[in-house]
Amino acid sequence: MRPDARSSRAVLKRAGVPADFETLALGEVARVPAADVIAALKALKDSGYESLIDFDGIDTGDDITLTWRLRSYSADRETYVRTSVAYGAEIASVWNVYPSALMPERETAELFGMRLAGHPNPKRLLTTDGVPPLLLKEVPIRTEEEVKAR
Amino acid sequence: MSDPRTTVTTPGLLAEGTHDPGTPPAGIKRAPTGVDHLATEHLVINMGPQHPSTHGVLRLLIEVDGEEVVTVEVSVGYLHRGIEKLAEHRRFNAIGTLMDRGDYVSGIHGETAVALAVERLMEIEVPRKAQWLRSLAAELNRIASHLVWFGTFGLDTGGMGQFLYAMRDREAILDILEAITGQRMMFNYARPGGVVADLPVGIDEKIRAFCDTFDTYLDEHHALLGGNEIFQGRVKGIGIIDAEKAFAFGLTGANLRGAGVDFDVRKKRPYDAYPELDWEVPLGSAGDAWDRYMVRMGEMRQSARMIRQLIDGIPEGEHTAKVPKVLRPPAGEIYACVESSRGETGIHLVTDGGDTPYRMHYRAPSIFALQAVEDIVPGHLIADTVMMVGSTDVMLGETDR
Amino acid sequence: MALDRLTGDNSIVFIRSEQLFDIARTNSLWYMAFGIACCAIEGLMSASGPRFDFDRMGVFFRNSPRQADVMIVAGTVNLKMAETVRRLYEQMPEPRWVVAMGACASTGGPFREYPNVVMGVDKVVPVDVYIPGCPPRPESVQYAFLELRKKIRAKTEDRLAARRQK
Repeated sequence: MRPDARSSRAVLKRAGVPADFETLALGEVARVPAADVIAALKALKDSGYESLIDFDGIDTGDDITLTWRLRSYSADRETYVRTSVAYGAEIASVWNVYPSALMPERETAELFGMRLAGHPNPKRLLTTDGVPPLLLKEVPIRTEEEVKAR
Repeated sequence: MSDPRTTVTTPGLLAEGTHDPGTPPAGIKRAPTGVDHLATEHLVINMGPQHPSTHGVLRLLIEVDGEEVVTVEVSVGYLHRGIEKLAEHRRFNAIGTLMDRGDYVSGIHGETAVALAVERLMEIEVPRKAQWLRSLAAELNRIASHLVWFGTFGLDTGGMGQFLYAMRDREAILDILEAITGQRMMFNYARPGGVVADLPVGIDEKIRAFCDTFDTYLDEHHALLGGNEIFQGRVKGIGIIDAEKAFAFGLTGANLRGAGVDFDVRKKRPYDAYPELDWEVPLGSAGDAWDRYMVRMGEMRQSARMIRQLIDGIPEGEHTAKVPKVLRPPAGEIYACVESSRGETGIHLVTDGGDTPYRMHYRAPSIFALQAVEDIVPGHLIADTVMMVGSTDVMLGETDR
Repeated sequence: MALDRLTGDNSIVFIRSEQLFDIARTNSLWYMAFGIACCAIEGLMSASGPRFDFDRMGVFFRNSPRQADVMIVAGTVNLKMAETVRRLYEQMPEPRWVVAMGACASTGGPFREYPNVVMGVDKVVPVDVYIPGCPPRPESVQYAFLELRKKIRAKTEDRLAARRQK
């Protein structure tokens, strides 16, 4: 029997992971340093958050914010883990903890121009070589003139 | 009298590892080939992106040993067209047009997810009638989407008849949806604040007539495909995804419920009219392809049951709340999810107070299902690969986004 | 063109071989089952379904490009897909025709601003018929096939007229 998932605040405190907590409209968010992400996710998984539901990145203008959305089916609750990394940084894959991160990690790394460490297949997922990291704010979409001049 | 083809003349020749070929005489490289010398080579087969059984532009690199799959690599991205990026340049009530084209067989769910996210950020009170109309369109669309899956899943096994029957029923639904929304597939019907139009006059009769016939038709469909012994032989016990594996790969929707996990966004994270309806969540047990088939068939029946309640109990009132033409939600972050035909479709919306989103992430259930495909296919025969891809009901439009 | 309606029993028909081939070709335009995106559901699946039933026009899907006459490009072509589209086109035997179905295949459609999207499949393969719509209704696809028939026949007519003038 799995232990019921509890608040990420209690779990991370007991595991000794440094984290700041905030409650947004999103839900309960634990902000951890990039180096401690795997330890934090491992602690949360052991405490009953069985599934990684979503993983995405946000280009905030200063850095890239990565968000993991975890769900516990037994306790029917969700929590978020969040970290910030610099542009072009190397992020450590969490697939050993949550295998569902395999493809979303490849996609996020590719579209935000980051490198993956410890991933079994760190190739591009969606685009071909030579395509810039498209989700960065500095990569523009085509202008109206370009479209009209097709 | 034994069959000479199967009689083993040299004992131990066929028993693996017991045959010692001995030292060959001078000038001969090795002894005449025995069975254990017939090593098989691994071969990489490319399947897709143009393949009738990949349901779109999925590409599979399959490494086979004889007829058995050793490894499989899923290659996606042949339909990557930037829904997330383009949404950053669209106003909030125009994002629905992009979301329709994400999961293009059941567009209404993607629209609803965006609408819910914007409404929750702006704290818009949606009229009760609008919620019911959204649920009505969503359930009609769910049946249409499952019928496409049903038809093509049967095509993968080599059946053609059920495809024609499924398309016949789907056309009946598309006629209704066209009357309600104005389009056959790309509805743009659910907008922040409500829906775009009220029900047209006389459509409720059509919907009731459809519901009356659909239950019988569904039995026929099931008898035609699920009652076929060949089909059962091909899907039972194939591609088992148990609860542990489903959790590990982040599966949602029918793929998760096929493993017996009772999680439906409509029940657990209620939205629109679902809390007021009386329906059940169909569940599987073993998590094989047959269970996923049965769950989806059950979902169609439940959807028809919901549609009947929805059309009977549509409340009076406005079909949309009073919302400004240009929506400017306050700066913030929200996650809204709906139960689409394929699982949990989620929208992570980040706003900065402007009239376009700062960032929109589209959580597509199919990309997680494809990771599970990579895990379950090895060890099966190559012919079963298409069955497993078909049973997870992946949609490449939302995988690539 | 139903020849038996134009001629009586035991009649002998004189026809140029090119025109005879045209009649055969235009009445059995087999398209390749190659759906890319949303348009595939309308243009390929509904089309072969019972309501629209393209079979009665001799329009039928083939799974292999080597057996197909027409390629319906049904969906957005991006940079990763463009190479495959070109390769499939080259695998089709001549004479071959291309129908660009929908806004995406014609110009890039709603996704034209995204740098990964090819703005129209005519940048990759020559297109014979464009169908507007997002997605076009199956009736539009039927109309496109009728237009394609006219186009194929007109080509021979033009060639014959040029030969007569010489």
